[in-house]
Amino acid sequence: MHNWLPFEWIAASRFLREGRMQSISIILGVSIGVGVIIFMSAALAGQQANIIRRVLSAQAHIVLLPPQEIARPLRENDVAEAAIVQRPFQRVRSMDQWQKIIKEVGEMRVVTAVSPMASGPVLAVRGEATRAVSVLGVDPALYFRVIPLPDKIVAGAARLTSEDIVIGIDLASDLGVTVGDKLRITVASGQGATLTISGIVDLGSKGANQRNTYVALHTAQALLGLIGGVSSIDVTVPDIYAAEDIAQAIAAATGVEADSWIKTNAQLYLAISAQVIANSTIRFCVGLAIAFGIAAVLIVSVVQKSKEIGILRAMGASQGQILRVFLLEGAVLGLAGSVFGSALGAGAILAWQTLLKNPDGTPLFPLEMDPRLFIASAVLATLTGLASAVAPALRGARLDPVVAIRG
Amino acid sequence: MAEEVLRLEGIRKSYNVGTPVESEVLHGIDLVLQVGEFCALMGPSGCGKTTLLNVMGLLDRPSAGKLFIKGAETSGLGDRGLTALRGHSIGFVFQYHHLLPAFTAVENVMMPMLVDRGRPDAAMRRRANELLESMALTPWRDNLAINMSGGQQQRVAVARALAMDPSLLLADEPTGNLDTKAAQGVFDMMREVNRRHGTTVLVVTHNHALAAQCGRIVELVDGRIVSDRHLPAAAQAAVEHTEETSQRR
Ligand SMILES: Nc1ncnc2c1ncn2[C@@H]1O[C@H](COP(=O)(O)OP(=O)(O)O)[C@@H](O)[C@H]1O
Ligand SMILES: [Mg+2]
Repeated sequence: MHNWLPFEWIAASRFLREGRMQSISIILGVSIGVGVIIFMSAALAGQQANIIRRVLSAQAHIVLLPPQEIARPLRENDVAEAAIVQRPFQRVRSMDQWQKIIKEVGEMRVVTAVSPMASGPVLAVRGEATRAVSVLGVDPALYFRVIPLPDKIVAGAARLTSEDIVIGIDLASDLGVTVGDKLRITVASGQGATLTISGIVDLGSKGANQRNTYVALHTAQALLGLIGGVSSIDVTVPDIYAAEDIAQAIAAATGVEADSWIKTNAQLYLAISAQVIANSTIRFCVGLAIAFGIAAVLIVSVVQKSKEIGILRAMGASQGQILRVFLLEGAVLGLAGSVFGSALGAGAILAWQTLLKNPDGTPLFPLEMDPRLFIASAVLATLTGLASAVAPALRGARLDPVVAIRG
Repeated sequence: MAEEVLRLEGIRKSYNVGTPVESEVLHGIDLVLQVGEFCALMGPSGCGKTTLLNVMGLLDRPSAGKLFIKGAETSGLGDRGLTALRGHSIGFVFQYHHLLPAFTAVENVMMPMLVDRGRPDAAMRRRANELLESMALTPWRDNLAINMSGGQQQRVAVARALAMDPSLLLADEPTGNLDTKAAQGVFDMMREVNRRHGTTVLVVTHNHALAAQCGRIVELVDGRIVSDRHLPAAAQAAVEHTEETSQRR
């Protein structure tokens, strides 16, 4: 009995120690539950971050395009005569008043970067080899805040003067070119330019690495016949999950078409959302299982301790004191379980990262060990313990001491 | 006139009130205990002794009648008030469930003080040790209940009941499970407390030899007091004398 501990702590800890087997069993149960939640959450967060990182490594959060040219169905008295309308070919067009749109969107509070782009399909020619690619003309100062190309450079530098071109790593190997080599870019009309490869980037996906080539904005404008114009505007937002809402706001405000990464990757986004829901459901169910487990143990404990409760009441312990003893037991069980569970979860995460590796030795995908997850699970488990203890504790506090002592 | 510790007026107690098996166990008890009395409560099994003690000790509420503790009527008190009064004024010794098994002897004796004051302190430990010392239990003070004999456990229970220096000590067949020698030991401790500190004691017993050592014997039959005798001090002394001589023999 330490002098600084109040009665409730002393009684709760003794009761827990007295029912050692029960305490250890339920702490183990809670630990496993918490461990599973932590590992699963980390795995999910890591996987999602990985997927989204891959998706967004070469794609802006939101892309603004000129409004689509729509062929309107012929209508007479609101009856469509031609029900099937063929979509017109979408040309490489410049956006009207793109400087104004950039200024307007750039001033929005939910937008962190805006970058104009002139892009179109071209052919990359190197000797006998020819590849159909996209040329993306950008202003490096603006664009690198949308897609940090310099971070993705594997050879050379992300330099984009009018003579430079930066290409994806797979295109480089397909064409057998490297930094310093010349590459001829031609458009369908036959116009072209010969550029020097200044850098090679790894954009994180094979498609982008084969297709994307980056040049200076005015170089692309000249190639594509878009002098003074841009074909799209890239937008970066701080909260990637709000991208679709922001895109809709931009579309409403400016009249341009705004496509968020969520819309262009609808299937993927749906899959991620489904995973999040599944994870939340599992978390909730594990939490519920923990709560019932703790409650069951405490109900048994209250029954087993009813004589002690009666004796304590007879010597002047109040209902409140008895109530707090059992609430404390619940909280301690939850907290202890979450501490061991956190260790268990962290161990599982470390094991995953050291045992499951890509052929190149990097982890299969990095798991996110977020300290907030551990703190949150400790707090939640303690609260769960407390909440599950309410019913048993009330039962203990309301025991009639006469009945309890009589047994 | 001596001061009253406890006054019962027309106390009735019924169990299972409002059900078909409702039964009245105490049929109007009138009883007054004065400060410093040492009183035995006797009666056949099932006559209502434990029920009466529970009512006296504020563990249970009477169905009818009035209960005064040191002159104050108690029917207006809520659970909190009764609990506080019980903690400060009344010490219990039970027949079977003596000690808290998770705690040592000295911790058991500290417990009423701990419950009252919230946190343990040196003064509590000192008082608990003194009480154990007076019960000749110092060597066992750090033992758990399972490591003590029945007589030792019951003496710890007496020490615990005295921890808050109560005005009234209620003991429900404290010696019922003990052999004659251990029973006499526990009984002697209670008499010592009564003599030294003037603590009023009411002890339930079936043992006539022990009852004869008390200053007063109240007899309960079927929930009614059928006799209430004060023994002259001389008679008590005589009993003690014969006991001593019988022990010598
Ligand atoms: N909680 C209860 N419910 C119903 N009947 C009870 C209860 N407690 C005691 N009784 C009955 O009351 C009577 C008196 O019991 P008790 O006070 O324990 O007697 P004693 O202590 O003299 O042996 C007995 O008939 C017993 O069965
Ligand atoms: Mg009894």
